[in-house]
Amino acid sequence: MTLIAKSQMSLSRAAVPAVLLVVSAFCAACDLSVSNPGPVQDSQLNTPAALPPLVNGMSGDLAVALGTYLTREAIATDELTEAGNFTPDNFYAAGQIRPEDDITDWANLQSARWSAENGLARMKAVRGPAFETDTITPWAYLWAGFANRLLGENMCTAVIDGGPPESDSVYFIRAESLFTRAFTLGKTLKTTTVQNAALGGRASVRAWLGDWTGAAADAALVPTNFVFNAVFSTNTTRENNPLVSNTVSSRQVSVFGTVYAKSKADPRTPWDTVKTSAGGVQVGQNGSTPFFVQKKYTSLGSSVPLTKGTEMLLIRAEAALRTGDVAGAMSLINQERASSGLAALTATTASAAQTILQAERGAVLWLEGRRLWDLRRWQAAGTSTFLTGRATCLPVSSVEQGSNPNFHTP
Amino acid sequence: MRLRIWRCLPILASLAIAPAVFAQQASGTITGTVTESGTSRPVANAQVFLPRTRQGGQTNDVGVFTIRNVAPGAVTVRVQMIGFEPVEKTVTVATGAVANVPVTLTRTAVALSEVVVTATGETRKREIGNSVATIDTAQVARQAASNPQEILAGSTPGVTVLANSGQPGAGGTIRLRGVNSVSQGNGPLIYVDGVRIYSGNTPNSGQGRQFVNPLNDIAAEDIDHIEVVEGPSATTLYGTEASGGVLQIFTKRGTEGQHWSASATAGFNNMGHVGPTSDPTGQGVNECRGPNLVNGAGVHYVDTTCPANGSWLHNGPVQRLDLSVRGGASSVNYFVSGTGNSEEGVLPVGGNRDQTLRANISFLATSALHLDVNSSIAHRRVTFVPDGNNAAGALLNLARGPGSGFRGTGCSSDPAVVCLVNDSLFLISSTNTTDHFTTGGTLTYQPTSKLSARVGLGYDNNNADIADIRPLGYILTPLGSYGETLWNQQLLSADASAQIRQPVGSRWVSTTSIGGQSFDSRLHSTSLSASNFAAPGTPVLTTGSTRTINSVSQQRVINAGLFGQEVIGWRDVAFLNLGLRVDGNSAFGKSFGLQRYPKASLSYVLSDESFWPIKSIESLKLRAALGESGKAPGAFDAVRTWNPVAANNGQPAFATGSIGNPDLGPERTRETELGFDASALNGRLGVSYTYYSAHTVGALIPIQQTPSLGFSGSQLENVGQLFNHGNTLQLTGYPIRGKNLELMTRLNVSTFASRAGDIGGQPITISTVQRTSVVEGLPVPSYYGKKILNPNAFADPDTVNDQFLGAVFPTKIISPNVSVRFWNRLTLDALGEWQLGGHNLNAIGYVDSNLQDWQPCYATQAKLKAFAAGNTAALNDVTALERAKCTLSSTARDLSFWVEDASFFKLRSVSLTFDLPRRLSLGSNNASLTFAGRNLFKQTSYDGTDPEVADQTDNTFSRRDYYVFPTYRTFLLTLRLGY
Repeated sequence: MTLIAKSQMSLSRAAVPAVLLVVSAFCAACDLSVSNPGPVQDSQLNTPAALPPLVNGMSGDLAVALGTYLTREAIATDELTEAGNFTPDNFYAAGQIRPEDDITDWANLQSARWSAENGLARMKAVRGPAFETDTITPWAYLWAGFANRLLGENMCTAVIDGGPPESDSVYFIRAESLFTRAFTLGKTLKTTTVQNAALGGRASVRAWLGDWTGAAADAALVPTNFVFNAVFSTNTTRENNPLVSNTVSSRQVSVFGTVYAKSKADPRTPWDTVKTSAGGVQVGQNGSTPFFVQKKYTSLGSSVPLTKGTEMLLIRAEAALRTGDVAGAMSLINQERASSGLAALTATTASAAQTILQAERGAVLWLEGRRLWDLRRWQAAGTSTFLTGRATCLPVSSVEQGSNPNFHTP
Repeated sequence: MRLRIWRCLPILASLAIAPAVFAQQASGTITGTVTESGTSRPVANAQVFLPRTRQGGQTNDVGVFTIRNVAPGAVTVRVQMIGFEPVEKTVTVATGAVANVPVTLTRTAVALSEVVVTATGETRKREIGNSVATIDTAQVARQAASNPQEILAGSTPGVTVLANSGQPGAGGTIRLRGVNSVSQGNGPLIYVDGVRIYSGNTPNSGQGRQFVNPLNDIAAEDIDHIEVVEGPSATTLYGTEASGGVLQIFTKRGTEGQHWSASATAGFNNMGHVGPTSDPTGQGVNECRGPNLVNGAGVHYVDTTCPANGSWLHNGPVQRLDLSVRGGASSVNYFVSGTGNSEEGVLPVGGNRDQTLRANISFLATSALHLDVNSSIAHRRVTFVPDGNNAAGALLNLARGPGSGFRGTGCSSDPAVVCLVNDSLFLISSTNTTDHFTTGGTLTYQPTSKLSARVGLGYDNNNADIADIRPLGYILTPLGSYGETLWNQQLLSADASAQIRQPVGSRWVSTTSIGGQSFDSRLHSTSLSASNFAAPGTPVLTTGSTRTINSVSQQRVINAGLFGQEVIGWRDVAFLNLGLRVDGNSAFGKSFGLQRYPKASLSYVLSDESFWPIKSIESLKLRAALGESGKAPGAFDAVRTWNPVAANNGQPAFATGSIGNPDLGPERTRETELGFDASALNGRLGVSYTYYSAHTVGALIPIQQTPSLGFSGSQLENVGQLFNHGNTLQLTGYPIRGKNLELMTRLNVSTFASRAGDIGGQPITISTVQRTSVVEGLPVPSYYGKKILNPNAFADPDTVNDQFLGAVFPTKIISPNVSVRFWNRLTLDALGEWQLGGHNLNAIGYVDSNLQDWQPCYATQAKLKAFAAGNTAALNDVTALERAKCTLSSTARDLSFWVEDASFFKLRSVSLTFDLPRRLSLGSNNASLTFAGRNLFKQTSYDGTDPEVADQTDNTFSRRDYYVFPTYRTFLLTLRLGY
């Protein structure tokens, strides 16, 4: 009894200190910092070992941007017909591209540009003089160059790193300089692929900047069978080609109703009809548009060309045509056709040759995200009317306008 | 360094060993029966205990209690039960003798002596300056609620419960006092018997697009009562995370002797008409055969796989079994229960099965020291129907008529007839299998009535295995696919507190509390998929030849906090409460220190003053409170991160993650509440009223980042201000209290008004496709988009962009409950609920009308076609709203036009309980039979499937009814036996 009473008393006295002890144990022993695995902190990228993955990321970002955009670019032009229910897509198809509908495309393309350009700055800082001789360096310049070209060809306005709106040609000027650096480093490292890709990219942006002589000179150095791709893969969902999901897995867009649906003979624009199990013509997700599936990309890992020798022939042809050399232009066009096993075409007038050139660029670059720019520049030149009354480029997205202080009137 | 919660273990262990030194004393026994005044009915589950030693338990099913091993001498016995005025009796106990204490409890609307549990421990309601609602779960049995979510609906003012889906097992959305956060969720924290459990949800099922709420793993039959602590002024001491309120769930305790309870329920789920009443096929669900299968464009369709009865619906059987035993002897009390539920939905697949096991054990080591250990295990398997925004979704395909993606052949000689094989929809297996284990121990030491101390440890472990299998040969993916998410969430919590109660002079009492709480939350989630199966049969992930790791997420958050509270009581009439909580959290930014949350409250029991003139109002308490709480940002929100990805043909790569913000801290909600609790006419009428007004500063707002700066998406910043105010009123009446007729009524009224203040200068888009934004000056959140200015004019729609279209969540909830008892044997109970002022986006109508398969648009679309064909008068009687909604132009249509008023009334439950006479009671002490119906009646002008539903894979701070299967009604028959 006494023992119990004593115990209770001592426990009673001990209660407050015990609680204080427990409470202080919580806090004295607790450093509230936690290192969670998974996401990588920005500073951890500042090591040489992190740089090759960083450059792979540039390739990945460009593929994500191009792949996501391909479907909408195709319905905003004459490449494919909308067959789905998504409202923004229906607006693109109707030739209305609103700032609230290109939020994703603007963000992806800008992200591809930024990650490559910012990555180059990081590589320089981490590697110092070794940056110039690293084998990955010219690749980073290539990804940065193609990201800028993609932006220049499709956006109405340039915005760089949160800066003010500028002329869309700013992207091409940056791209030209980036391709030049890629070419120079590629030459030092004796990497043919890099050199050809850089020349191909530079040829296109030089042409778009009005330097057709320089463009033709670069283009002439690229072999006809050369192809340089944005890389897609079946490896992970992020690496998949979304145009394939939109045409093979679901039926969002159709070749039906396009100029390419008139014939299945052109190997550059392959497509097929799709039958339902009952034998009828399959329709798109909207329940009405007959579904003709594109066959250019058949696997989720099908890659998309960024530049290729056949486009170079057409750049040279277009340069020739601009000087009035119809025969020279047609010769180059027919070289390009011959490479696909197609018969030669003839034209004797500049306008007939221009019509053929426009159709050939359409077929050669079909579903490569290039058509809107071609139609836009030909519209401006008065040689095409397809975009009359339609959007010719993508506006600065509503998110960029809302979040970039340069778009707010003070 | 990490949080070393385990360092507490030696202390706990030493405290646990301490009782071994005590020996039993010479003692006596107290026993008695608790009955209700007026009806003389025995009161089951009443708490009977000796306040001094905490010995005791609950009354059994016939109101009997026994307390053994009581030290001889004069002893005070306290008897309390929610809804009754507590009673204290003094009895003299002699060694070896049994003292009999009959107790009569009187029903009362507002019992100020009732004890509730706060962050610092148990407190009488009269001392609290906040409203704390207690849900009496005796009511629950009559309402045939099967889980806490159903118990909460309509139970108490300030609570919003939205069902989200009509799939058995799917979790609902629960809110207390509306919305105080834009980005950090608004759900309450949940404590079960003092142990904090994970208060979020499992990930969504890939195909069902709904989650399972671990809260629902607590078996309704195990719950003794629920305390609803609403608003930051009441939850301050719970710290960061508590601004959405706190739900305290208490499960049943043991008692002397041994008492068995069993119940068995059988019934069925039944679906009424789906979608607009003018559509005879009920979205192709009610009717899948016959001449009505034609869309607005005149396309006929035939589904040869439609069941023989011509409908996809059937009655889904429901079975529930519960068995529990409570007992105790000398110093150990226990409650052990097991439950099993099986429920099928109304479509050919879909259902929920769960089993729970609970053991609550109390050890009375000495008269001063006792240990409670409460553990529960729940296993659940939910089978979902593919639903929502899902190409394989059941309703999506059924409702689209000939637009179903599941097309067959040869159903008709007419080639224009579309052949469907919609039974393929049900080949997908979509399951969420969960295991939920919770255990906790609380050691309470109360050496004197002035001092008490408590140490607790809790552990909550949730596992979910979410699997979606498309078998080999499935139409949309003929080679089959398997997606699986393995998810584990663990929460380890520890708390300690001490309270000293000290009289100061003759009129003042000081109660000082100090304590600390910490939690360590770990999430581990892995999402995997495989496709292209090698062979038929039951697949596993490796059956697929293409295998992908989709995502892996491991997150740990730790939080530790200290609190102190001083309550100064004056003549037991007025109480001033001052408190402070200080918190640190691993998710706060590096440059962010500890957070301090203060509170103050005052309660004044005016009716206890000698000058109180209105004797018919026997109790009136005035209360006022001011307090703060917060919500911490997520684990990665403060740091700039890159995500490891694969790119450039499967090579290792980085992609931008979140931009990070080192200055990120918690958002802070400050709330003021004023109110009163009154009881009048001898407990026959009760009124509880509260006005609350909350102001959130530094609200965590997702600010869109400038995409040209590389990191797209949004970053949380502490920039916003939100305002939230409302009123809650509970009226309780027991107008008739006779032996042959008893009438109990309750009316809950709540209003919710939220408004965004300055939120960083621009509207925040919550979801573009859900047309939901947070806009300065408007409710949080609001449907916001294109408004028709002339909806009822016979003209083309005149529209203007960026307009307020309606509040997303209800702004007023009214729920009446009536219970009538005849001849002390037969009870009729009904609970209804109006949820008014909320809106939902009827995206079914939006898409179906475009597909010309939305019956309410057929007439308008015929007129639009006639007009286009040159009949200039065709649209003369078509309103602008009808023209806008039913437009055939793919660019003129807009989801904004389909934001509809989702106000509704639902009859949540109706039941009839018959207490069986002795001769029919199968040898039990007591037996009852309940016939109950849930959700029997619905009234709404909302045109989609159900105003309460929303696809949970969409943004959940908004609501979109995109082919979400509606809620069903349930009929149940329950037999309860007590031995």
